[in-house]
Amino acid sequence: MTTEQEKPEIADESGDKYKYGFVTDIASDTAPKGLSEDIIRLISQKKGEPDWLLERRLEAFRFWQKLKEPTWAKLSYDKIDYQDLYYYSAPKQKVAPKSLDEVDPELLKTYEKLGIPLKEQEVLSGVVAVDAVFDSVSVATTYRAKLAEKGVIFCPISEAIKEYPELVKKYLGSVVPYTDNFFACLNSAVFTDGSFVYIPKGVRCPMELSTYFRINAQNTGQFERTLIIADEGSYVSYLEGCTAPQRDENQLHAAIVEIVVLKDAEVKYSTVQNWYPGDKDGKGGVYNFVTKRAACRGANSKVSWTQVETGSAITWKYPSCILQGDNSVGEFYSVAITNNRQQADTGTKMIHLGCNTSSKIISKGISAGRSNQTYRGLVKVSPNADNARNYSQCDSLLIGPDCGSHTIPYVENRNKTAKLEHEATTSKISEEQLFYCQQRGIGEEEAVSLIVNGFCKEVMQHLPLEFAIEAAKLINISLEGSVG
Amino acid sequence: MGELVQKVELMGSDLPWLEGLREKGAVFFEKQGLPTAKTEAWKYTRPRDLLADDFILPPLEEEKENACTCGEHCTCGHHQREGEDFLLQAYVIDFENGALEHIAHNLPRGVTIKPLIEAIYEDDGIRKYLNKSFDMEKNPFAALNTAYLEQGLFITIEKNVMLDKPLALVHHSFSCHENLMFHLRNVILLEEGAKAEIVEYYNYSGNEKSRYFTNIVNELYIGRHAELNHYKFQDEAFKAVHIAYNAVKVKGEGRYNGFCLQRGGNLARNETHVSLTEERAEAEINAAYIMNGWAVIDTTTDVEHLAPYTKSTQLVKGVVGGQAKGVFQGKIHIAPMAIKTEGAQLHKALLLTDEAEIDVKPELEIYNDDVKCSHGAASGELDADQLFYMRSRGIGEEEAKQILVDAYLQDVLEKINNQDIKDWLAAKAKLAK
Amino acid sequence: MKTPLLEIEDLCARVADKEIIKGFNLTINEGEVHAIMGPNGAGKSTLSHVLCGKPGYEITSGTVRYKGKNLLAMAPEERAREGIFLIMQYPVEIPGVPVTTFLKHAVNAIRQHRHEPELDTMEFIKLLREEGKKLGINPDMLKRPINVGFSGGEKKRLEALQLAILKPQFSILDEADSGLDVDAMKVVAEAINAERTEHNAMLVITHYQRLLKDIVPDYVHIYADGHIVASGNKDLALEVEEQGYAQFLKEK
Repeated sequence: MTTEQEKPEIADESGDKYKYGFVTDIASDTAPKGLSEDIIRLISQKKGEPDWLLERRLEAFRFWQKLKEPTWAKLSYDKIDYQDLYYYSAPKQKVAPKSLDEVDPELLKTYEKLGIPLKEQEVLSGVVAVDAVFDSVSVATTYRAKLAEKGVIFCPISEAIKEYPELVKKYLGSVVPYTDNFFACLNSAVFTDGSFVYIPKGVRCPMELSTYFRINAQNTGQFERTLIIADEGSYVSYLEGCTAPQRDENQLHAAIVEIVVLKDAEVKYSTVQNWYPGDKDGKGGVYNFVTKRAACRGANSKVSWTQVETGSAITWKYPSCILQGDNSVGEFYSVAITNNRQQADTGTKMIHLGCNTSSKIISKGISAGRSNQTYRGLVKVSPNADNARNYSQCDSLLIGPDCGSHTIPYVENRNKTAKLEHEATTSKISEEQLFYCQQRGIGEEEAVSLIVNGFCKEVMQHLPLEFAIEAAKLINISLEGSVG
Repeated sequence: MGELVQKVELMGSDLPWLEGLREKGAVFFEKQGLPTAKTEAWKYTRPRDLLADDFILPPLEEEKENACTCGEHCTCGHHQREGEDFLLQAYVIDFENGALEHIAHNLPRGVTIKPLIEAIYEDDGIRKYLNKSFDMEKNPFAALNTAYLEQGLFITIEKNVMLDKPLALVHHSFSCHENLMFHLRNVILLEEGAKAEIVEYYNYSGNEKSRYFTNIVNELYIGRHAELNHYKFQDEAFKAVHIAYNAVKVKGEGRYNGFCLQRGGNLARNETHVSLTEERAEAEINAAYIMNGWAVIDTTTDVEHLAPYTKSTQLVKGVVGGQAKGVFQGKIHIAPMAIKTEGAQLHKALLLTDEAEIDVKPELEIYNDDVKCSHGAASGELDADQLFYMRSRGIGEEEAKQILVDAYLQDVLEKINNQDIKDWLAAKAKLAK
Repeated sequence: MKTPLLEIEDLCARVADKEIIKGFNLTINEGEVHAIMGPNGAGKSTLSHVLCGKPGYEITSGTVRYKGKNLLAMAPEERAREGIFLIMQYPVEIPGVPVTTFLKHAVNAIRQHRHEPELDTMEFIKLLREEGKKLGINPDMLKRPINVGFSGGEKKRLEALQLAILKPQFSILDEADSGLDVDAMKVVAEAINAERTEHNAMLVITHYQRLLKDIVPDYVHIYADGHIVASGNKDLALEVEEQGYAQFLKEK
C-alpha cells in the first residue's frame, strides 16, 4: 500500500528571499492520496496504535464529513480538495532510530541547514531540547535522558500513546474536542505525530523544550498534534518553529496544540511561524489552519502565548485560554506580519470562568504590499467570574497604499465586577518619523526596520532571547522591498 | 417562521412600480428570514419575539375610533406635552400607531413635508431617493419595511435654507389592539448648504405591557455643505420591539451629527449606516442607552469612508441594570482611495447588577495606509469607594448611584448641540423611569 | 580666504500649490554663524526642511551647493552623513525605539560614511554616557523610546546630545515658532557653542532676538515673503526686537 516518492522537483528560487525554501532529497513512505476510513485505519496501523485511538479517529472522521469548512474569516483562497492530498508521509527508515546516530544523515543535515542542530554535543550550553517533526513524523528528540532525570517526559506523541496511554487517554482531546471546528476535527481524524510533554508536580523544567516542524513532501498535508500537561506547581517554556520548502502549489497544515495547566503551574508557549508564504504574486505557500488552546484548570495557573507570525499564505489561528481555575492568568502576545499577497486572520480567545482571573492581549499587526490582515479576538466573562480583568491592545501598522488591516474584537461580559478595556489603533510609519531618522543619517530601509521593531517591542520582549533575535531578523526579511 | 409578510391592501396599490417594489421587499425579506444566532450582523440581538406570527397592521381609521378603549390612561398623541418643553419650540409632526396624524402648519419657506404616499403619487422627485440608500438583500427589516411601504414622510429642505427650529417627529403608540406592527419610512433630503435639526421621539401610553413592533427606515441625504443634526429618543413600552435603520449619505463637506438615546422596549435596535461619499464629508454618531428589566438594547453603527479627507467620530455609552443586555456593534470601513481619513470610536458601559450583560463588537476595516483610526471599549461597574463616600456623607444609595450615572453619561450628552434637547434628554436618562 | 560651505542661489520652493520660498540667496562660509529672523508664517521652517531634504516640498528653481556638491540631489540621510544636522523644534516621537538603539544606528551610519570604524556596543555606550553626563542627561532617559513622553526640556537635551555625538559640520537650529522655551534653549545654545570651530558653520532660525544672546551670530538676516529683505550684523537683531518687523515688510 505504500509508494516511494522520488526526488521532488527543485522549487524555483526566482527572486524570492525565503531561505528555508529548499527540499530535502529523502525517500519517504507515503500513503495513497485521499481521505477515507481505510486511510485512517492505515495511518493507525502504521503507527501501531491501540484500538481506542483508532475508534476516536474514526468517530472524528465521521463527524468531519458532516461539517462544512468555515467561511467567517476574512480570507479568500481556492477551495481545498481534501481528496487530492496525501495524509501520511514519513521519511523511510528501516527501523525506528534508537539514538541520534541511527537517524538518516540527510535529515540531520536538513535540520542543521535550518539552524537546528540535533546532535546534542553541538548544542552549546544544552539549554534547549528539540523534537524534530519532519512531514508527518517525529524524527528525533534530544536530551531525553537528561529530562528524564527530573521526570519530565518529552517525546513524540506517537510514542507517548504507547508508553503513557493513561496520560494521553485522559488529556488528549480534553481541551480541543474533535467537535470543536472543521480543521480540528480533520486533525483528530488524521494526525500523524507531534510532541508530547509532561512536567511532573513541582518540577521546573531545566531547559527550554522545542519542536521544530518541517513540511518536506509534496501535496502532503501536515497534521501534527501537540499535548502539553503541566502538573501542579510545575513550569515549562516551550518553543515552536516552522518552515517549509518553496513550492508552487499550496500545502495544507492543520495542527492542534492542547495545553493543560494544573494548580499553580505555568506554561509559556512561544511560536515563530515561518512557513513558506508564497511568492510575491501569491503563488504557492502554506495554508495554516491551527487550533491552539490552553486550559488553566487549576487555581493560580498561568499560560502565556507568544507568537511571531511571518509566514504562510493563509493563516487562521486563535491561540486561546480557558481560565477555569480561580486566579488563573492568560496572556497573548502576537506580532503578525503580512506582505505581498499573504492573508492572516488571527487573534485569541480569553474565556474567563473562574474568580479573579485576568488576561492580557497585546497584538501588533503589520501589513505591507497587497496583503490583508485581521485581528479577531474574543473576551468572554461568565456570570461566575467575579473580578475578572482584561486589557487588550491591538495596534496595526500599515505600509503602502494597497494593504488592508482589520480589527474585530468581540467582548461579552456577563459579570458586573469585571473590568475590561480594549484599545485599538491604526497608523502608518509617518513621514515625520522617517525624516527624523534620515536626518540623523539612517537609511530608509534601516529606518523602517527600526520603527517596525520598535512597534513590536512589547511583544518581542516576551520571547526567549535566542528566539527574539531570530524573530527580529525574520521581521526584517519579511518586510524587504515593502518600502521605497 | 412568523407570517410577518401578509397580504393587505395598502394605499398606492394602483401604482405598478410601487407594488413591484413592495413585492421585491417581501421576497428579499422571506429569502433572508428573521436573523438567527448565525447571522453575524445580529449575533447578539435575536428578535425572537417576532417569531410569533401574531403581528397585524393597525386596523383602518373607522375601526380605530371605536376600538380605542385606553380610557383614562389614554393621553394620546399630540395632546401630551408634559415635561417635553422642547416640543413647544419645534415644528411638530404627529404619528399615532404608525399613522400620520398631523403636520405643523407654520413651516418656513423652503421646507416641504409631505406624507410619503402623497409624495409617491405626485412623483415629484422622490423616486430618485426612495429605497436608494441601502441594500435590501442585507437588511431583512428594511426589506420588510419596503414590503409595507406606505406610511412616513418625504421632507425636503431646499438649498441654503437653515431651519430656525427643530422638526420633531413624535411617534405615539397606544394599545387599543394587541400585537400591532408599524412600518415607517422617512425620506429626508437636505439640499446643498441646508441646515436642519430633526428629532424623532417614540413613546407610548396605556398599558405598559402592550406589545407592538415598530420598524423604521430613515433615508437621509445630506448635500454638499449641508448639515443635519439628527436626535432620537425611544422610550417604547417594555414588551415592544423597536427596530430602526438609518441610512445616511453625506456629500462633500456635508455633516451628519446623530445622537440617539434608547431607554425602552423589550428589544430595541438603532442601526446607523453612514456613507461619506465625497471629500471632507463628516459624521459624528453619539449614543447612550440606559436600561433595566429584560431589555435588549442594541446600538449598531457602520461608517463607510469612501472619499479622501473624510472624518468620523463615535461615542457610545451605556448603563445596564436588571437582567438587561446592552449590545454595541460599531464598524469603521475605510476604502482604498479614502486617504487622509480619520475615524475614531469609543464605547463604554456600566453594569449595575449581577445579571446584566454587555456584548461589544467594534470593528475596523481599513484598506489604505494613510489613515488615522482608533477604537476603544471598556466596561465595568460603579466605583464602590465613590458610592460609599457619598453614602457616608448622607446621600441615599439610589441617589448616589444616580449621581454617578449622571456623571458617567455627561460627556456623551454634552455632544448634543441644542441646549433644549440636551436638557430634555438628560432628564430622560435616569435610572428610575 | 574664506571657504564657502553652503551656497544658496535663487532658491524657489513650494508646498502643494503655494509658493513659500521665492528667490532666496545666501552664502555661509566655514566658521560663520548666521541667524535668520522673521515674522511668524514667513516660511522660515520651510527653509530648514528644504535644506535637509524633507519630502513634501517642490523645488521649482535655484541651486544649493554644500561643500561644492549639489545638495538638492542628495537623499536626506546622505545630507546628514555629509554633516548637516537639523535641531528640530518639535522632534517626532518614535514609540518602542530606545534612544540608545536609535543613536547607535545613526552614529554607525555616519561613521561608515566617513570610512571610520563602527563603534561596538561598549564603545558606543561609553561615548553616550560621557556626552550625556556633560548635558546632565539621566542614563534612564537613554533607555526610553525616543522622544516619547519627553518634556520639552528633555527633547531639547536629547537633540543637543545628538549634536554632540554626531559631530556635524553644518547645524541648523530651527526655533522658527514663537513658542520658544527659553530655559530649554540654554541647553541647546551651550551645546551649539561648544561645537563652534573655524570649520563648522551654523544657521539659526528664530522669531525672537532672545535666542541670539546665547548664540551670538556673525550675520543676521531678516526673512519675509520668501526671501531675505535685510542683512546686517548682530545689531540688526536688536533693532528688530525694539521696532518689530513692520518696517522691513513695508519697504516692499
